[in-house]
Amino acid sequence: MRRLLLERLGHLLLVLWVVASLTFLMFRLMPGDPTLNFLSPTFNEETRAALMASFGLDKPLWQQYVIYLGKLVQGDFGMSFLQNQPVSRLLWDALPNTAVLTVVSLVLAYAIGIVVGAFLAFRRGSVLEGVMIPTALATRAAPEFWLGMLLLAVFAFQFGWFPTGGAVSPGGSMGTLTERLTSADFWWHLCLPALTLTLFLQGLPLLLMRATMLEVLNDEFITMAKMKGLSRWSIVMRHAARNALLPVVTAFALGLGASIGGNVVIETVFAWPGIGRVLVGAVQSSDYPLAQGAFIMIAFVLVVMNTVADMAYALLDPRVSVGRRA
Amino acid sequence: MWRSLLALTAAVVPGLTLPGLAFAQTAGDPIRPLTIVTQPQAADPREYQAAQIVADAWRKLGLTVNLRPLPGQQFSQVVWYERQRWDITTWQMVGRPERGDPDELTYNLFVSANAANGYDFVGYINPAYDALAQAQRQELNFEKRRALVLQAQEMINEDQPYGFMVHPKNVVAFNKSVWDEKSFVSQAGIGIRSTWSWLNVAPLGAQKDVILNSVAPPTNLNPFNIPGAAGSWATEMVWDRLMRVGPDGLPKPWAAEKVERPDPLTVLVTLRKGMIWSDGKPVTIEDAVFSLEAPGMGDKSPMYKPFVRNIDSVTATGPDTMTIKLKNPDAAFLISSLAKLNLAPKHIWAPIFEDLKNKPQTAESIQEDKPVSSGPFRIVKAALNQEIVLEANATHWSKPKVNRWIMRIMPNVEAALGALKSGEINFLADYTGDPQILRDLAKANPNIVISEALDIGFKFLGYNERRPPFDNKGFRRALSAMIDRQLLADDAWGGAAEPANSWVSPALAAWAAPGIVNRVPGVGSLEAAQKMLKDAGFVLVGGKLHYPAGVKETTAPFN
Repeated sequence: MRRLLLERLGHLLLVLWVVASLTFLMFRLMPGDPTLNFLSPTFNEETRAALMASFGLDKPLWQQYVIYLGKLVQGDFGMSFLQNQPVSRLLWDALPNTAVLTVVSLVLAYAIGIVVGAFLAFRRGSVLEGVMIPTALATRAAPEFWLGMLLLAVFAFQFGWFPTGGAVSPGGSMGTLTERLTSADFWWHLCLPALTLTLFLQGLPLLLMRATMLEVLNDEFITMAKMKGLSRWSIVMRHAARNALLPVVTAFALGLGASIGGNVVIETVFAWPGIGRVLVGAVQSSDYPLAQGAFIMIAFVLVVMNTVADMAYALLDPRVSVGRRA
Repeated sequence: MWRSLLALTAAVVPGLTLPGLAFAQTAGDPIRPLTIVTQPQAADPREYQAAQIVADAWRKLGLTVNLRPLPGQQFSQVVWYERQRWDITTWQMVGRPERGDPDELTYNLFVSANAANGYDFVGYINPAYDALAQAQRQELNFEKRRALVLQAQEMINEDQPYGFMVHPKNVVAFNKSVWDEKSFVSQAGIGIRSTWSWLNVAPLGAQKDVILNSVAPPTNLNPFNIPGAAGSWATEMVWDRLMRVGPDGLPKPWAAEKVERPDPLTVLVTLRKGMIWSDGKPVTIEDAVFSLEAPGMGDKSPMYKPFVRNIDSVTATGPDTMTIKLKNPDAAFLISSLAKLNLAPKHIWAPIFEDLKNKPQTAESIQEDKPVSSGPFRIVKAALNQEIVLEANATHWSKPKVNRWIMRIMPNVEAALGALKSGEINFLADYTGDPQILRDLAKANPNIVISEALDIGFKFLGYNERRPPFDNKGFRRALSAMIDRQLLADDAWGGAAEPANSWVSPALAAWAAPGIVNRVPGVGSLEAAQKMLKDAGFVLVGGKLHYPAGVKETTAPFN
């Protein structure tokens, strides 16, 4: 296990270095630079030169890269060009909001998906299955922005049950994470974005669970359980579902990693102040340090969650061997 | 033998060869496919649709016209830094209070000194225009200056370096059950989304917070940074200025009690008494002198430096008075500088500027934890991606009637519309969607009132004169004649715009050339446009427009 951990740590560092280098190059090779945000009739070469120097972009590319990596090793992501605040502060402000949105939605989506998926496998060929499967596929296939706008139109614009955006009411304070998690206002604002993400995410665990369950239900040990006269509930939930959970657990861990960076659309539709919105704003305005920081953070979470998925698989299924090679 | 056969053919079948010879003598190369670079449809659907309409009209002249949408940063990069590369671009000038004086645009957009790397990115060169622009800048007599500005507009109309499209209208909406609708103040070229409104608007009930939306987040808020359009709505109220642009568009003393101009190079300022910074210290004449000097010290305030470039010296002459000496006469100085520069506390910012001397950073990059200001509002929260919260300054001599001014950052325009309907916001300040949807909403909700005001800004097509055939005046005039501005205003902008043919908006009645929109040479007539092309030597061959005789196409199409 220790060897596996070390190996994974090595992978993590390698991936982060590659991501850091690629994002560094990507933004600098893309057309445009941050000074284009300041174009005005009084803008001239002198203004541009001063701004480029203040951003550190007047130095040769290799020098910028060395400075960037040097700072990164010390955990310094630099200063945002446009917001003029440390990138780490901006990301740490946004990360808890994204994490709460993602975790709440994933847990809901997987809880619903696992139960409904298992149930549908058991009721294969029923009318209910005929309705539920296309519904799950439709919500999975529907674009997130469309789903979000639909929920906004119905529950916010029409009925006025939920706010249209943001994480707190106008003029309210975000406070610490604990304050947020104990604030009814915060949860009230979370409802619609979380519901959108839940609907979007539930299709995968539902279909995965159903497919795996169908396989498991044909296994000999299930036949044995039936022959032993166990109850239907016991067969499905205690025996079949437990064995069908493995791929779903892996998908959960991977989904958590992917969703941290994948909520860009939902965060934009609902003005949810998370990493996704930070990333969009930073890319649009060529705010290199902020965009780099956001990408590295997303990559970090993704790689960590991949490792967690591997570990979870090993823990849940002793037949899976990790850390050793044949 | 072949040579003899060719000679015989030429002699016997003259009818076959002469038209070919005649063609070669009267038409040059066919004009390459021309490209309009523009923002993507998703970024600005109205502008994109307008470009499509115009491209269709130009095709009737025998041109091949393509649209090339480019993402925001790349679009600016190409237009601004790759000036030899593009043919035509869509562009806009937005309305800002200080553009209430026409000098900024009159001078910077078309003066040839700005063609290399300034705002004359179309490369318009006309020494006669340069002289006019300079003359209006130095003329302090209003009537004489107005005549010069009108003359400049006629000259641009004659030369058509831009295909002007429309002056958009600012469409905003508010809830009249929350606000006394008569208490909003409309500013010329800005509308009711003005500082004067926020200072004057009166609540009708318990809700005493102005809650408005902005699509884009501002950059950091400090007195030496220009934080984007929406950010400026906030900073204008947080930091006082010696003058402000009044509701009528003219400069008006604000933190200055009195401003006098005894001669073209001298400005005498008397500071208002009793002003206090938010940290409790008094606003002094030294603060005012510092605020005008700081942007010019070194390169630490690049965005504000252009506004003090013409200042020769600033001297305190008494406890409340100072004298500003200018290098050159500047008619727009009161608006372009005194109504633009924020008053900053010297005791806070002088040490910061000193500290910055040996650092690459500029003053723009400084973000105070608790900004010190003297204006009618103070910053209490600046979560730039979420919301800006300002609180009324109870000690200000022009104390607002509202408690707080809250700007919510809402990138989703439809959500902002829903928020207005549900009451989450009570002023829709930034609306880029279809005006008809907003009108329908107001029709269904009697408390929602829409206010439309013609903007100081304008939308246009820039012709790159560095690239033939745009260096030909007749060609540019023909293109401009084919632009149906009313169609653009009605269809692309859904009626929320007026046709334009000048950079001076009709909202600035004192400076706009009356009726100039109807004086575009040959406007609305295909025949007139074709005649202009013919007079300029262009030839239509097989439905395709060619250069005048002898002219080769040497310019590569945009790719």
